[in-house]
Amino acid sequence: MSVLQVQDLTVDFAQRRGPKFRAVDHVSFELVAGETLALVGESGSGKSTIARALARLLRPTGGELLLHGRPVGHRGRKLRDYRREVQMVFQDPFASLNPAYTVGHHLRRPLRIYGHPRKGLEEVVEALLTSVNMVPATSFVSKFPHELSGGQRQRVAIARALATQPGVILADEPVSMLDVSIRLEILNLLDGLKRDRDLALLYITHDLATARYFSTQIMVMYRGEIVERGPADSVILRPAHPYTQLLEASVPGERTPHRLDELAPVRGAGGTNVILAAERAEATAATGCRFRRRCPHAMDVCSTHPVEQDLGDGHLVRCWLHDPKVREKSGDRAAPQQSAPSGA
Amino acid sequence: MRVQPAAQTGAEGRNDAVLRASHISVEYGGTVPTRAVRDVSIELHRGEMLGIAGESGCGKSTLAYALTRLLRPPAVMTEGQVLFCGRDGAAPIDIMQLEPEALRRFRWTVVSMVFQSAMNSLNPVISLRRQFSDIFEAHVPEMDREARDRRSRELLEMVGIDPSRLGGFPHELSGGMRQRVGIAMALALQPEIVIMDEPTTALDVVVQREILLEIARLRRELGFSVIFITHDLPMLVDLSDRLAVMYAGEIVERAPAEWVGGRPAHPYTLGLQAACPDLLGERRALQGIPGSPPDLRQRLRGCAFAPRCQYVFGPCADIHPVLSPLAPPAAAVIESVLDRDGGKTSKLNDWAVACHLHDRTANPAGPPDELAGDPLGTGGLVPPAVGAGLGVDPTGRPARGQDQL
Ligand SMILES: Nc1ncnc2c1ncn2[C@@H]1O[C@H](COP(=O)(O)OP(=O)(O)OP(=O)(O)O)[C@@H](O)[C@H]1O
Ligand SMILES: Nc1ncnc2c1ncn2[C@@H]1O[C@H](COP(=O)(O)OP(=O)(O)O)[C@@H](O)[C@H]1O
Ligand code: SF4
Ligand code: SF4
Ligand SMILES: [Mg+2]
Ligand SMILES: [Mg+2]
Repeated sequence: MSVLQVQDLTVDFAQRRGPKFRAVDHVSFELVAGETLALVGESGSGKSTIARALARLLRPTGGELLLHGRPVGHRGRKLRDYRREVQMVFQDPFASLNPAYTVGHHLRRPLRIYGHPRKGLEEVVEALLTSVNMVPATSFVSKFPHELSGGQRQRVAIARALATQPGVILADEPVSMLDVSIRLEILNLLDGLKRDRDLALLYITHDLATARYFSTQIMVMYRGEIVERGPADSVILRPAHPYTQLLEASVPGERTPHRLDELAPVRGAGGTNVILAAERAEATAATGCRFRRRCPHAMDVCSTHPVEQDLGDGHLVRCWLHDPKVREKSGDRAAPQQSAPSGA
Repeated sequence: MRVQPAAQTGAEGRNDAVLRASHISVEYGGTVPTRAVRDVSIELHRGEMLGIAGESGCGKSTLAYALTRLLRPPAVMTEGQVLFCGRDGAAPIDIMQLEPEALRRFRWTVVSMVFQSAMNSLNPVISLRRQFSDIFEAHVPEMDREARDRRSRELLEMVGIDPSRLGGFPHELSGGMRQRVGIAMALALQPEIVIMDEPTTALDVVVQREILLEIARLRRELGFSVIFITHDLPMLVDLSDRLAVMYAGEIVERAPAEWVGGRPAHPYTLGLQAACPDLLGERRALQGIPGSPPDLRQRLRGCAFAPRCQYVFGPCADIHPVLSPLAPPAAAVIESVLDRDGGKTSKLNDWAVACHLHDRTANPAGPPDELAGDPLGTGGLVPPAVGAGLGVDPTGRPARGQDQL
C-alpha cells in the first residue's frame, strides 16, 4: 500500500550568478508500507535534497506530495501532521544529537511536542530504547551522547524518529559513518522495525551491496534524475543504464559483468582525467541525456532527452539504447549486454 | 576495481622509508588512562599508500597522528621514536625533538591531513576562495592573488568540482562535494606525507575511484606517501600497497595489500572481510563481527580479540600473541608468486600476524585453511615455522609473551 506518493518533485536552488540550479528534476516515485526503497547514485545528484524536500526541511519548487492519497498542506496543522508521519534519520550520529542533553531528553521531546501526556512518558521512552535494542533501557536514559558509541547514537536517532509513530522513515546514509561490523546491525534493526511496524523506508546510500540486500526496489539517480529503477536484484544483477553499470563496476573488490576500462576510459590524450573533465563539461549541458559525455554508447539521438523505457517487471531505464525504435534502427545491436561476464 | 599502486615496494623501495616508527605507545590521560596505541612499530615507505584498517576505537587515527606528531592533549606519546627522512636526502630527523618553528613547518609543508569529518570541518560561512587563500597566504606568502586563485581552481578541478564553485560556500555543496574540497585542501601545499582519515565515506564509488586514481597519479608524479585509514577492507586491498590491520591498539596483521585480498591470516581480518557483503553473490543473512572492541582503559590479558574470536583455543586467554612474520611459503608457491609478482621477494618477509593459530608450538596442526595466509588462495603454503607466534618480534625485541598492561 502506497503511503507517500511523490509526483514530479522539482527543487531549484538560487545561485549568486547565473540561472537557478535544478538539483532535483521532475522525480516521481512512491514509498510503500512494509517496503524499503533504496536511493543510490552520484554524489551531488540530489538524493539528500529529495529527502529534505520529503521531510519538508526545504520547500520544493514544484511537484506534489500525497500522503495516504491526500495532498500535503504547507502550514499549520496539516504540515504538523505530515511531519509527525514522515521522520528522518541523518548520516552523522555525532552531529544529529545535542551533546548537552541526555538520551531521555531526546526521546521525550518529540513525544511531548506531539502531545503525549506526562503520565506514562517514561514507559514509552524505555519501550522506544528497547525497540532499538538498547537494553536495559533504564541504564541509557540518563546518558549523554558523548558516552555512547557511534552505533548507539544512531540507535538513539532511530528511536527518536520512531517516537511519533511515523509511517515513513527517510534514512539518509544512516550507516556510512559507522563501522562495517556495526553497519549490518543497524541495517538489520531498521529492517526489523520496518517489518514489525509496517514502515515505508527510504534508504539513501552509496553502498550498493546493502542497497540490494535490504531493499525491495532500487532507484539510481544521476544529475537530478532517476535514470534507472526496479526490483533490487534486477537492477543490481542486470543493470541496464550505462551509469548504473559504471557504478557497479567501480565497487571495490567486485568482478562485475561490465568492464571498467570499457565503461570509463580514465586517461585521455595527454593524461588528463577524462571523466572529471567530462563531468565538468556536462554540468553545463542542458539538453539531452545528462550522461552522454561519459557514455561509451552515446549516439546522435542522445542529444534529445531520453524517456523511460519499461524492461518488464517494473524495471525502468531512462536511456535511448533501450528504446524499441532506436534498437530497430541499429539492427538491435544497440542494447548493451546486460549480464555476460567479461571481466574474468 | 583495482587502482594500481603507485609505489615501488620492491627491494629498493624497502630501505627508502619516509617514516620509521618504533615501539610507539600513546595514552589519553584521564583518571584511568586509555592506552590507544600499544607498542606499535611500522615504516612508511616513500611513495607508498599504507592502509590502516580496523573498527572504530582501535587506535587507527591515534597511530596516524602519533606518526606525524599531530597528537593533541590529552594524548601523550608515552614511548617510542619516529624518524623522518625527507626527500632532500638529509639525515633522518627525530620528530619528537622538533623545536616549535621546525614543527610548524613540518606540520604544514611536510604532512597534511584529510580529517575523518572533512565534510564538517570546513567553515560553512566562509567562501571556498577565502579558505583556500588562507592556506596559501599563511605558507606561501609570495603568491599573489591571481596565482592563489589559479591554484585553487586547479585543485578544485582535480577533485572533480566545477571551478566556478570557488566563490561559493560549503553549505551549498553536497556531503560528498565537501569531502572532496577537504582532499583538495590537503594537497594544496604538495606535502610529502598525506594522512587520509576515512576521507571517502560520503562519496559514491565512481567518484571515489576517480579521486583515488587522481591521488595515485599525483603520488607517482610528486612522490608523496599516503596513510589511508578506513574500515572498508575491500577498498584498502584494492588501493594500498601495504595494509596494517589494527585491533585494540595493536597491529594484528601486516601484509602486502593484494595478498590479504587472497586470504588473510588473522581471524579479525577475516571477520572484517566477511562483514562487507559482496554485491553480486547469493542473498544471505548478513552478519557483522559479534561483540565490540575492548575498552582500552582496561588491562588486556592474552589476545584482545579472544572474546569475539570463533577460533579461540588454549593459549589465547593468557598469552599475548606478538606480531611475527609468517614463515616463508613452500618453494613451489614462492616461484609462482614471484612469477606473478615480478620478483618482489622482499614482500614475503613483510607478512606478519599476531595470532597463536600461526604458532606451531601452540598449534601444531597449523592454521585452518581459511587463515592460511595464502596469497593465491591455493592452500599450497607451508604452515609457519615453529615458534612463529611466541618468538622474537620483527623489530628484534624479545616478546613479552605475557599479558600487556
Ligand atoms: N542550500 C543549497 N544551496 C545551493 N545548492 C545546493 C544547496 N543544497 C544542495 N545544493 C546542490 O544541490 C545538488 C544536490 O545536493 P544533494 O545534497 O541533494 O546531493 P546528494 O545526492 O545527497 O549527494 P551526496 O551523495 O554527496 O550526499 C548539489 O549540486 C548541491 O551543490
Ligand atoms: N580525545 C580523546 N580523549 C580520550 N580518549 C580518546 C580520545 N580520542 C580517542 N580516544 C580513545 O582512544 C582509542 C582509539 O581511538 P582512535 O584512535 O580515534 O580510534 P580509530 O581511529 O581507530 O577509530 C579509543 O578507545 C578512543 O575512545
Ligand atoms: S541515452 Fe545515450 S548517452 Fe544516455 S546513457 Fe543511454 S546511450 Fe548513453
Ligand atoms: S590468538 Fe587466539 S583468540 Fe586471538 S585471534 Fe588468534 S585464535 Fe583468536
Ligand atoms: Mg547527501
Ligand atoms: Mg578514527
